[in-house]
Amino acid sequence: MKTEVEAPGVEPRDVSGGVTIAGVEKSFGPVRALDGVSLRAEPREVVAVAGPSGCGKSTLLELVCGLQRPDAGAVTAAPAALMPQRDGLLPWLSALDNAALALRVAGVGRAAARAAAREHFAAFGLEGFERARLRELSGGMRQRVAFLRTLLAGRPLLCLDEPFGALDALTRLTMQRWLADALEREPRTVLLVTHDVEEAALLADRIVLLSPRPGRVVETLDVPLRRPRHRSDPAIVALRERALAALGADS
Amino acid sequence: MTRLLLPLALLLLLLAGCGEKEEPSAAGARDTESFTVMLDYFPNADHAGIYAAQASGEYERAGLDVEIQAPPDAAVPLKLLQAGRVDLAISYEPELLLARDQGADLIAVGALVQKPLTSLMSLGDRAIERPEQLAGKRVGTSGLAYQSAYLRTILEQAGVDPSTVKETNVGFKLTQAMLSKQVDATLGAFWNYEGVDLERRDRDPEILRMEDLGVPTYNELVFVARRGDLDEVGASRLRRFLQATARGHEALERRPAAGVDALLEADGGLDRGLQEAVVDATLPVFFPEDDERPFGYQDPAEWAAYEDWMRENGLIKRPAGRAPLTNEFLPGEGLDPGTSGLG
Amino acid sequence: MTAALIVLVLLAGWEALVRLGGIDDLLLPAPTQVLDALWTDRDLLAPDLAVTTWEVLLGLAAAIAAGGAVAIAMHVSSEARRALRPLVIGSQAVPVPVIAPLVVLVLGFGLAPKILLVALVCFFPVAINLYDGLRDTDPDARKLLRSLDASRWQTLRMLELPGALPSAFTGIKIAAAVAVIGAVFAEWSGSDSGLGHALLIANGQLATARAFAATFLLFLLAVCLYGAFALLERRVAGWTPRSTPGGP
Repeated sequence: MKTEVEAPGVEPRDVSGGVTIAGVEKSFGPVRALDGVSLRAEPREVVAVAGPSGCGKSTLLELVCGLQRPDAGAVTAAPAALMPQRDGLLPWLSALDNAALALRVAGVGRAAARAAAREHFAAFGLEGFERARLRELSGGMRQRVAFLRTLLAGRPLLCLDEPFGALDALTRLTMQRWLADALEREPRTVLLVTHDVEEAALLADRIVLLSPRPGRVVETLDVPLRRPRHRSDPAIVALRERALAALGADS
Repeated sequence: MTRLLLPLALLLLLLAGCGEKEEPSAAGARDTESFTVMLDYFPNADHAGIYAAQASGEYERAGLDVEIQAPPDAAVPLKLLQAGRVDLAISYEPELLLARDQGADLIAVGALVQKPLTSLMSLGDRAIERPEQLAGKRVGTSGLAYQSAYLRTILEQAGVDPSTVKETNVGFKLTQAMLSKQVDATLGAFWNYEGVDLERRDRDPEILRMEDLGVPTYNELVFVARRGDLDEVGASRLRRFLQATARGHEALERRPAAGVDALLEADGGLDRGLQEAVVDATLPVFFPEDDERPFGYQDPAEWAAYEDWMRENGLIKRPAGRAPLTNEFLPGEGLDPGTSGLG
Repeated sequence: MTAALIVLVLLAGWEALVRLGGIDDLLLPAPTQVLDALWTDRDLLAPDLAVTTWEVLLGLAAAIAAGGAVAIAMHVSSEARRALRPLVIGSQAVPVPVIAPLVVLVLGFGLAPKILLVALVCFFPVAINLYDGLRDTDPDARKLLRSLDASRWQTLRMLELPGALPSAFTGIKIAAAVAVIGAVFAEWSGSDSGLGHALLIANGQLATARAFAATFLLFLLAVCLYGAFALLERRVAGWTPRSTPGGP
């Protein structure tokens, strides 16, 4: 999907829809978040960035979205839509208005934005909840609203920051399946940050493993497996173990 | 401020007919000059003569558009007068002399109340009938320096050792202090007001007047003007005001009820019965004892004696300067230079 | 229910104290006398209540307008913040009983000085709470809007202002509670109407029951004002997640 909206301050742009990160370093005061990270996502590829908490994964997404500038190295990215860790939903807006938020910011009128969002509500399992307040929605529903918003921003690149981190294990499994299906229907370039290597294996085409702070790429694993994937698939299990081993989390 | 006009207009509609301040008549305003008078306190029976004059059109006939204002507290009238915000203020003789001691160029142009109203008051079973009985007692005052001086003078005259008398500042809650028995007696309540009020409520007040206890007599309420305002135009206005006020008091004497009516229109929160009783009690002291003297007459000899007393008691520091009073604007005066007091 | 019972017990005790305990009812009238005065003097007190209510409402409106403008200015511009912050804090430190006579001296006895004084008393809680609320936004939502290229105005309008409503209401409720005090002090400094004025006149005539009745009406006014804003808050900012479920 082409878009007219530019990611702020990200130079140069990748017009094909992919992301290239080369040797990026970023520090916040004395804290070194990223220490020379490189990765590549082709257009329409799902790349998972996995690692322990505090290894700079969120910072990486902020660099890609143009919210931060690297101290060293280069970031070349298509216009990106960010889905922050704690979904960023606004409690005073209904589910529909939250989903329409990106369109509203882009200048679309309220009626048109709501209509656009409403079209997807059924497909996202949110039918009937258009006027619902956030507190009436389950955790999974909230994530789906947030994801719809992210999609409706109409940008080729999606940066998802631990989208399922706040969900319970059961909901998480359901949502992982759901996300795989959604991306099947609407393919985008996706940078998915997660601390769950199994999730990475289920969803991604490639897994980039980061070390604890300062974040460096420990290993990059390709996942040439067909979809739909299941937890119990031996290949998935093997991949998971390899990733954990690489991260030094052997049992 | 124009944005306030709409809610203000609505407000006035709401309040129509209920306790509104007496508005000066606008009819024939072409020929009337505006004249603001600030009372010494809230409108009460002491001012009945002034309100009577206004209600009966005396001021209008004198070509004056009089606006009567009530101050929030007793210290304000002279301040506003000095600031030129009002044309005339009603205040107390000691307050005027104190202000002049501070350098204010103010002058008393007429006496509204000829005698002291301040009294030594006590209630019921604790009544102080003679000043000698004050020994060992607690006396409440409003904390004014001259009230303390009155007390000292009274004790001296009665031969009571002042160290046996405990003086307490009860602010303006003189009556409450007596009722709650915080004090045995108070000095500062008016015999024509609090005294009458307590009498009507069967609290059996014992009242001793200042001038009977050895304090030099004085005019409790006086009309005060700024000397600088008394040019030809100002003097004419003042003279007309005082003449109309004198007629208002004469009307009050003939029909006290009319004055009370006018008073109640100015402030509906007043109690008719009380105000009528106070007017009755006060009428004798609205006029000079010597009926040869005009309404508002101030006796220069009495003033001099009082001023000396203040100086002796350390209340004023400066030596006597220009006269603090003049009678030249009173009805019938100003034609005979011998009766003015201007130095 | 228990609160009502406690109040009733206290009232009964008060009544007994005056009737049987020998307290002069010119000092402390019994509750029944106060109620009687409320009814008997209603023609007197009703217009005064209207006047004071007007003063409070207009003053509060002025404070909300000024406080809102200042808070937003301080939030959006650091020069404004530097310039205005000491004034905002100073406005709270001004002792109203001292300032009130000065304001009346300059502005006279009309409605204007009362509105100014009420606004002065209410300004600080409104401004400071709104300002804190504007700063205190969800950092993830803020990040989101930035990533969507929202303009400063969009961020203010879509995120910061709605998000600041709960804090703003806290400030307004506090202001509502103290606005009445401001109006009374203003009236005490120069007025010919209003409940504060009625209080003074009543006290000066030993009409103590009426004075208590006027005080009660002032209390009622403050409570109703607070309640009205609390209700409005529930309508407008009812989305706020509170830590205790089912709380107001």
